[in-house]
Amino acid sequence: MTQPALRIENLRITFPNAGQRLPVVDGVSFEIARGEVLALVGESGCGKSMTAFAAMRLVPKPGAIEGVIELNGRDITKLPVPEMRKVRGTQLGMIFQEPMTSLSPVLRAGEQVVEAIRLHEKVSHGEARKRVIELFERVRIPDAEQRFDAYPHQLSGGLKQRVMIAMALATKPQVLIADEPTTALDVTIQAQVLELMRELQRESDAAILLITHDLGVVNELADRVAVMYAGRIVELGKREDVLARPRHPYTVGLLKSMPGLAQPGERLHEIAGVVPPPTEWTAACRFASRCPRVIEKCSASAPAQTALGDGHWAACFAVEQEGAR
Amino acid sequence: MTNAAPLLRVEGLTTWFPIKRGLFRKTVGHVRAVDGVDLEIWPGKTLALVGESGCGKTTVGRSILGLVPSIAGKVWFEGKDLRALSQDELRPLRQRLQIVFQDPQASLDPRMRVRDILCEGMESFGIGTNDAERTERAAALLRRVQMNPDHLWRYPHEFSGGQRQRLGIARALAVEPQLIICDEAVSALDVSIQAQILNLLGDLQDELGLAYLFITHDLSVVRYLADEVAVMYLGQIVERGATARIFSAPAHPYTQGLLAAAPSIDPLRRGVQARVQGDVPSPAAPPPGCRFHTRCPEVFARCRSEEPRLFALPNGEVSRCFRDDPAAPAA
Repeated sequence: MTQPALRIENLRITFPNAGQRLPVVDGVSFEIARGEVLALVGESGCGKSMTAFAAMRLVPKPGAIEGVIELNGRDITKLPVPEMRKVRGTQLGMIFQEPMTSLSPVLRAGEQVVEAIRLHEKVSHGEARKRVIELFERVRIPDAEQRFDAYPHQLSGGLKQRVMIAMALATKPQVLIADEPTTALDVTIQAQVLELMRELQRESDAAILLITHDLGVVNELADRVAVMYAGRIVELGKREDVLARPRHPYTVGLLKSMPGLAQPGERLHEIAGVVPPPTEWTAACRFASRCPRVIEKCSASAPAQTALGDGHWAACFAVEQEGAR
Repeated sequence: MTNAAPLLRVEGLTTWFPIKRGLFRKTVGHVRAVDGVDLEIWPGKTLALVGESGCGKTTVGRSILGLVPSIAGKVWFEGKDLRALSQDELRPLRQRLQIVFQDPQASLDPRMRVRDILCEGMESFGIGTNDAERTERAAALLRRVQMNPDHLWRYPHEFSGGQRQRLGIARALAVEPQLIICDEAVSALDVSIQAQILNLLGDLQDELGLAYLFITHDLSVVRYLADEVAVMYLGQIVERGATARIFSAPAHPYTQGLLAAAPSIDPLRRGVQARVQGDVPSPAAPPPGCRFHTRCPEVFARCRSEEPRLFALPNGEVSRCFRDDPAAPAA
């Protein structure tokens, strides 16, 4: 067995609330191999972004992490801050949703990437500048040399996101975390960035953790998909299996409620009710109150993973009863 | 009025915003947000206005309602040109035209109770004889948007995003409109909530015969609910036609690019294409000739100097491209 680039086991993230510790991520486990893209999908508040923050050890205080987060076999949950900073700069790359707020408005775009490189490597400014211009060309920034000297406000949203991607790639990370990388972009610009990310993925063997709410983006980029609901992964499997043959009632409902697959005039499938807030999370199945296939067991305990073949699993008592198809 | 006439007809609608600079706020140019837009919306039907950020789609909606001043054009509603009317003459017509905004958080007054949010418009237009009757109507509206009538006495912050959007819809319905402009009304919602709101809008249309101007950037929503589509680019309509036709055989290169760029959730259909390269130019300085020529994969010499007209295609669609216009010489 080769070692996964990123392995997360039984991750729990809690925040203090009314004298107790309230979980926002509750027992999440997955692995990503080198060269693989795993998408973590779910609706607002499911804990997907918090999981990404945890993988970078950037969970805001007073949040606390429990569980294992291994980068190439090394647990980073207990690393001292200066060590962790080094890991973040060299082994982990990050692309955030809002390029506007992640770039400093008072520094030239290229200099920000130079800074990122020189923070972690002993290279001259001239050398770093050359590398940044190469990176800008690699992420298809037109007139890379001129754009090196541009301030972020002089760049469009799509170009800013390319600068962010260049920065994430600058230190050749083994794990890349992309949190809603195209959500703020218009559809034609999103297509350009998706094409770019697909190309980069072919060229590098970095493991990519893609966080998104957009199943279309998942379909474009992911090899495997993990569906999150109320702090837990409820279904995980290959892209084709999860999107074409979903088994967990939440995944089934989510896909059916999308207008993309519905016929015009046909009623969209509705998932009744709303996602329970963390204050109402129980030890049982958290989808039970909205689930069309709910059975007695569901409100008593949490369902275990039912293996469905080829690495595909769902955590659901109804699926457990019918088993693999 | 018969169904043979459109409910709303927009002709040559133009809204420019001045760019002011310097000590004396001298006007140095204009952002041409909307630049000669023609639209028709039929009773009980949905027209989707699609386009990317900055194309002017939101400004079209606001200009129709007079929420931003337009500088030219006509907006025909019930046989009257809204732009030519005085504020007093406009008032009764406003009742028939309502809007639902993208962000229900920002468009509901946090200091007002639900009852007052719903009854404000009724009072303004003299609907209901007294407060008790209006309260009764407000309760019925809540039931109509599938909310608990007990919620009348709550404040907006006590509701989730989906429920607030239901309140926004109930507020629009309160004055019995014929046309609702939905400006990105489902864009901020999670998928499962979006489905609930889209179903609600569909039910209301069936029951009340409402027409919608649905302003959105989401093509899957457009395909699902619109009868007709108008595609906007840099302040102009570039293509208009029946939804099924536009999605099966888009004519304009920009529409083709938009459709090729939209990801599908069908695992067998992977691979969006970035046919449209580069970024949208500034609407303060739109390119000469065809406004799309800087990004068009099929640009030829004439596109750079001459502006194409909206041309009716044999299939009933309208497209603004020299390629499809027989009056244009071959490339």
